[in-house]
Amino acid sequence: MAMTRREALEKIAKGSLPVIAAGCVSTAMPAKAMAFEPEPGKFPEEAVGLLYDTTRCVGCKSCVAACSKANDLAPDTSRDGLHQAPGDLNWQTKNIIKLYKSADGKEYSYFKKQCMQCADPACVAACMFHGLTKNEKTGVVEWNGIKCVGCRYCEVSCPFGVPTFQWVGFNPKIVKCELCRHRTVKGQQPGCTSVCPNKAVIYGKRSDLLKEAKARIAAAPNKYFENKVYGETDAGGTQCLYLSHVDFQKLGLREYGEESIPDRLRYQKMLYKYLALPAALYIAMTAVISKNFKHVEHELKEEEKHSGLRPQL
Amino acid sequence: MPKKDGTERESIAAHLQACGYSRRDFLSLCTMLMATAPVGLALTDKTTPEAVAKTVGKAKRPSVVWLHFQDCTGCSETLLRTSKPDVASLILDVISLDYHETLMVASGHQAEAALDQAVKENAGKFILVVEGSIPKKDGGVYMKLAGKNAIDVLKEVGSKAAAVVSMGSCASWGGVPSTPTAGGASPTEAVGVDKIITDKPVINIPGCPPNPYTLLGVVLEVAALGKVPALDAEKRPKFAFDRVIHDHCPRRAHFDAGRFAGSFGDEGHKQGWCLFKLGCKGPVTHASCSTRHFNEVPDCWPIGIGAPCVGCTEQTIAFKVPIFQTVDVHSFTATPPDGYPLVSGQSGSLSAIATGLVGLIAGAAGGAAWVAGKKLDEAESEAPKASAQSGGK
Amino acid sequence: MRTTKWERAVPVYGVPVLTRAFYVLASIFGVALILTVWREYFGLANPVSGMTDGFAWGIWKTFNVMVLTGLGSGGFAVGIGAWIFNNHKLHTVMRTALLTSFMAYGTGLVMLGIDVGRPWNFYWVALPWAWNGHSPLLEVAVCVSLYTCVPLLLENVPPVLEYFIYKVPNYRPTVEKIEAVFTKVYPFIIALAYLLPMMHQSSLGALMLLAGPRLSGLWQSPFLPLLYVWAAAWLGYSCVVLALVLPALAWKRPLDLDVLGLLNKIAVNLVLAWTAFRFLVILVRGDIGLAFQFTSDAFLFWLETATILGAALVLRSESGKKVSKMFYAHCVLATGGMIYRFSPTTLAFHPRGGALYFPAAMELITCMGFISLGIMGYLFAVKKLAILPASIEDWKKMEAYEAKAPKDPFARYLSGKQYATAD
Repeated sequence: MAMTRREALEKIAKGSLPVIAAGCVSTAMPAKAMAFEPEPGKFPEEAVGLLYDTTRCVGCKSCVAACSKANDLAPDTSRDGLHQAPGDLNWQTKNIIKLYKSADGKEYSYFKKQCMQCADPACVAACMFHGLTKNEKTGVVEWNGIKCVGCRYCEVSCPFGVPTFQWVGFNPKIVKCELCRHRTVKGQQPGCTSVCPNKAVIYGKRSDLLKEAKARIAAAPNKYFENKVYGETDAGGTQCLYLSHVDFQKLGLREYGEESIPDRLRYQKMLYKYLALPAALYIAMTAVISKNFKHVEHELKEEEKHSGLRPQL
Repeated sequence: MPKKDGTERESIAAHLQACGYSRRDFLSLCTMLMATAPVGLALTDKTTPEAVAKTVGKAKRPSVVWLHFQDCTGCSETLLRTSKPDVASLILDVISLDYHETLMVASGHQAEAALDQAVKENAGKFILVVEGSIPKKDGGVYMKLAGKNAIDVLKEVGSKAAAVVSMGSCASWGGVPSTPTAGGASPTEAVGVDKIITDKPVINIPGCPPNPYTLLGVVLEVAALGKVPALDAEKRPKFAFDRVIHDHCPRRAHFDAGRFAGSFGDEGHKQGWCLFKLGCKGPVTHASCSTRHFNEVPDCWPIGIGAPCVGCTEQTIAFKVPIFQTVDVHSFTATPPDGYPLVSGQSGSLSAIATGLVGLIAGAAGGAAWVAGKKLDEAESEAPKASAQSGGK
Repeated sequence: MRTTKWERAVPVYGVPVLTRAFYVLASIFGVALILTVWREYFGLANPVSGMTDGFAWGIWKTFNVMVLTGLGSGGFAVGIGAWIFNNHKLHTVMRTALLTSFMAYGTGLVMLGIDVGRPWNFYWVALPWAWNGHSPLLEVAVCVSLYTCVPLLLENVPPVLEYFIYKVPNYRPTVEKIEAVFTKVYPFIIALAYLLPMMHQSSLGALMLLAGPRLSGLWQSPFLPLLYVWAAAWLGYSCVVLALVLPALAWKRPLDLDVLGLLNKIAVNLVLAWTAFRFLVILVRGDIGLAFQFTSDAFLFWLETATILGAALVLRSESGKKVSKMFYAHCVLATGGMIYRFSPTTLAFHPRGGALYFPAAMELITCMGFISLGIMGYLFAVKKLAILPASIEDWKKMEAYEAKAPKDPFARYLSGKQYATAD
């Protein structure tokens, strides 16, 4: 057991080196590769989004057709081989109209499903190499093929089940609504809002849309479910807002509270902050193991003497 | 035309023959009648033109008295806008139009006398067709017929009629004259016939104008079978008014696919796309215009020529809701079709091979573990040998 | 059944590598390889796998990686017992534990590479400036890659060095020099080899934290990472015991009931504490009601608890001293543990109404193929290298056998004869 103080210090120093290096790396680490850190409830100045009102939607599905056209996606006719009638979002369908119908058929509502453009998106936190990032100006969640590994963690983590993966072919992409940023940058409307006959879905700055939604609620109290705008604070707030005459849960918009999904990782993140805890653990373990190693080496020597065979580590 | 001498009326078939109509023309008329009322009219239900011809032919020519009140005469015009075969004449020969201010030759006192005579001679047997609304304001002085208030004329003549048919929206519920002013009521308080005659069956045929074959179907059903056709809650014959335009619209596919004309003359409009965005009231208007067009010219009806339906048959819509105001979705979509993907839809698949394979693997693993355990048991129960043993097989 | 004290690692001698079983495994792996090429070209859609947007992770990531690395945590769990808690007896089984770990992690890592859709972008894992520090999956990817390629690999090097010393005498001086360096840095390597698994096994648990309420409350909790790494620990012990007992059956290797008993004891303590903690978490979070509803989640929960707890109790009892009962118990325990690690990703995960997942046949065969690869690797290693523990007598017997066997490996193979004396 007689390790001199010098030896002990040497051991600790040697053990710490890789750890200090790791620490430097971790602090310089670009969770800053993304200049904009998403936070629940915080939206960029120019954050844009959609406002969808189920009381105005006629279920014509123009938006589905227009979206495919605007995004150069071939219509998905796989359900019946003839009509563009996908069963859900998929790699050819960035936007879909779904139907909720009660068992007796008396209560029903259409539901437009597309990326919610959350304030603190689960997919952005989940993506290993920043394949999905939140645009710091518009707040739109954008996919980058150069970084994406196709691990599909974004699909698993999204609370709304939005990102879709191109399952066929050898160059698969993650496909989801990006609010037609290739069109809005030219001043055009996104595909879906440009054709909606009833203005059931409209595009604009989130702050304006929220005002509009609240105005509609104020103008017709009791028309909208719980007089609530879904997405105001749900799941940390989303840029695509919903007004509905039926319970949001029936539309598939679960109750998520104000906590964003990545918030659930806060304890994990605390453990790894600056890699301090791992570093400390490593140093401690190295010290203990080094001490025990002396024992083991001693025992191995004994064995060698006893059996005449080379010691095995 | 054979003179009426007050004796027994001759049958329609006999009369037509006497007028020189061919049987072919008559069968054509019966066929047209069947097309007008594919369902809902007992006369034409599940039968052949020959059978209809027989039934109608045997019937006595019904006497029809046609009164005009606050009208534009468009409903009479619609009757005449027929071409081949000269059905206008057919209609006028199948029924005996004993009084019609526009079509009769007489006027003035002669006309008055004609009305009195028609009513007296056919009392209890004639069909009263009314065109135009009836003003009620100030005792009804705003419409007079031979010096008498319209409201009184109607009550008088109506009391002697076997059945009353309101031809057109004005007679059915008030039409244009009943459009309220800013004050709230119409200037003359115009109302439909069924607000005046309440003790007799009234059949409403709204429309501005309605299809002439609807009238013919009603009249012949009454004449040939003595029955009033099945009516809906607004006293409209179901065979023509039980569905909305939207449900039989030739442009419905465009609506369902989301192809709309945005403005008159735009690309979509030129392509014949749905006119919903232009305010078409088709989804909420009950009528048969979408299947029976006007003037016997195909596509000669508002939507067919690219003009949105204005809902002329509906009291709550026509002349009240602006033409270009779009309809509220929930007022016309009853239950959505099942073709939509449901919010909680099924996805994923299960293949028999895969399930079998899992079963196989699980079974194999379980079986192997069992056998291994048994072998271990055996090995253990053998007397434990001394440590000097070889590695062996 | 032979019992002796385990003193030294001895290779399995007198048994050829290319047995019938090996051929079967190789053919399964061969089919899997073909299917992998198919998958790379055609993508992941049916029929290659049953993954859909609802269940984007099938069995490759969740089973081959998450579950099997849990099983392959022997190196880390037994290692901590041996090196940190200074349990001398466990040193003899370290090599076996490390081998099983390496096989599990190695094949798991390859499976991960096959599962991802755009593997050509995986190089970002080596570039720290591209990392997203928020992502638990990144932590897993970096840690597992680093762990498999550095500490775990290096920990498995000593038997290889030993092989060279005995079999290739020309290289002996060089190899001895390498061994000397090795011995110097060994503590640093193995400390890393215990740190990294703690990090990534817990991050594997953290993965499903993002699932939120879509994962049933019987699994979901902020303690999921802790429960995962804890479960990996006792799963590792189970796997090591199975990897030690099966050779006794297959190749008549001797068993050291003392060491086995110790392994069992540690495993049982870990399991009982784990089960208690899991129940505590569920009770405190108020989710215990879920266990009594008539749902598949409740059924799964009780299945896990029954198998895990039942097996642990058997191991604790007297019958746990019998090798066959021990074997059954560990099989059941491992199964229960595997179900526990698998459930949160697939069985108890409800992403959207109506989504259903079942692995496709090709997916299953590929999964089995890579497991076969791992087993093949294990079989090859234990027969060529000194991994499995035995007594010093056995070593001497092995040397005697080797002395008699023809030096030329091909001649050895052809001869097929067994040189040891049978008893």
